[in-house]
Amino acid sequence: MGQTVPLEVRFPVSEAIKFSIESIRKRFTRALITAASVVLGIAFYSALNTMSAILLVATQGAQTVEAYQRWMAVISLIVCAVGILNSMLMSVTERTKEIGTMKCLGAMNSHILIIFLWESALLGLLGGLIGSVAGWAAGIGISYFQYPQYVMAPELLVRYAQTIGESLAIAMILSVGATLYPAYHAASLEPAVALRFEI
Amino acid sequence: MRYEYTVETEDLAKYYQMGEITVKALDGVDVRVRRGEYMSVMGPSGSGKTTLFNMIGGLDRPTRGRVYIDEVDIAKLDAYELAWLRCRKIGYIFQTFNLIPVLTAQENVMLPMIFAGVPREERIRRSVDILSRVGLGDRLNHKPAELSGGQQQRVAIARALANDPVIILADEPTGNLDLNTGLHIINLLRELNREKGVTIVTATHDLKMIDISDRILWLRDGKIDRIEKRVDVAVRMEE
Repeated sequence: MGQTVPLEVRFPVSEAIKFSIESIRKRFTRALITAASVVLGIAFYSALNTMSAILLVATQGAQTVEAYQRWMAVISLIVCAVGILNSMLMSVTERTKEIGTMKCLGAMNSHILIIFLWESALLGLLGGLIGSVAGWAAGIGISYFQYPQYVMAPELLVRYAQTIGESLAIAMILSVGATLYPAYHAASLEPAVALRFEI
Repeated sequence: MRYEYTVETEDLAKYYQMGEITVKALDGVDVRVRRGEYMSVMGPSGSGKTTLFNMIGGLDRPTRGRVYIDEVDIAKLDAYELAWLRCRKIGYIFQTFNLIPVLTAQENVMLPMIFAGVPREERIRRSVDILSRVGLGDRLNHKPAELSGGQQQRVAIARALANDPVIILADEPTGNLDLNTGLHIINLLRELNREKGVTIVTATHDLKMIDISDRILWLRDGKIDRIEKRVDVAVRMEE
């Protein structure tokens, strides 16, 4: 071997993302279920925000969604986060040996962390995209029965974009945030222990 | 730099505290493995073979003593250097193969090269080379689930060789394989040892390993029982 190779261990972002995508593809049903929980939680939040915006314009500031409805949305997001946490913890447990093996190949703790965080970011993105748009559509659909003429009001279009963007951001933050602990646990596994692990 | 001893251990000990009892998995092991040597570590279950494997491979820290790989005390390495050591200096082979299930054979072999910063074209070329050398040139795109036990172990061997390590550590490589397949794997390891001059240390139950080893280290209760050269074992068997 004549060529020089850098004296460090590297895990380029492109490879990390590819690995995360492959992991999601292989465990697709599990990923789908986790994403579904994100979709539902975010859809609820997005629908509520959409209806609130329409209501505000339609009644000229007189009415908005009830406080208890907002609380329900927040709680559904918390439930969604707990679901992600649980799913990710299971994923880490199943892959304990795989993590040990990767450390034998040169992976550092930070690399393991990045793999799991990318997976959750991708799931949050996918779930958030579907959820925020589906929720927005549901919000429009429901409000249509009461205020059909306001649904496509020009001043609301900006608000719609905001709602969808905000819901998407929350989906990703929720997803990655809920994965922090499981990913940290995965990253700190000792190779000797991880390799011995039988589920 | 060429070092005479690839692996050197000095009074290596590993104790586990199980409540009131101290389990002495290793209790003072001094061993020196020459560059290019094929050493088998043998002994009954619980004699400390896997513990020794973990110590030499930098997978666990000893309670006492030191391990030198190419004359570097691995206890003094920080996280980066340790990762580099595992990536570039040591190749690991396990009884349960431990391939990444979501990756194909070729991708499994390329993974350590990614960590080593090898460019993509080079990775592809080398992985094809090594996999062909172990006889799996036509199974590059198969996932581990689509390969037999012997084939998976050959992918694991190819992976262990990916970054041209100075030492290959094998923990019961033939443990999950039948007699014939095990024999093939053992012969493959010996051929690679000769061809590439890579030092091989195997922890094993398999007596078929004796034929191809340069030296055999017998462990008992965490201590060295004896170290024999292959010829000495043959002589002993005849007696």
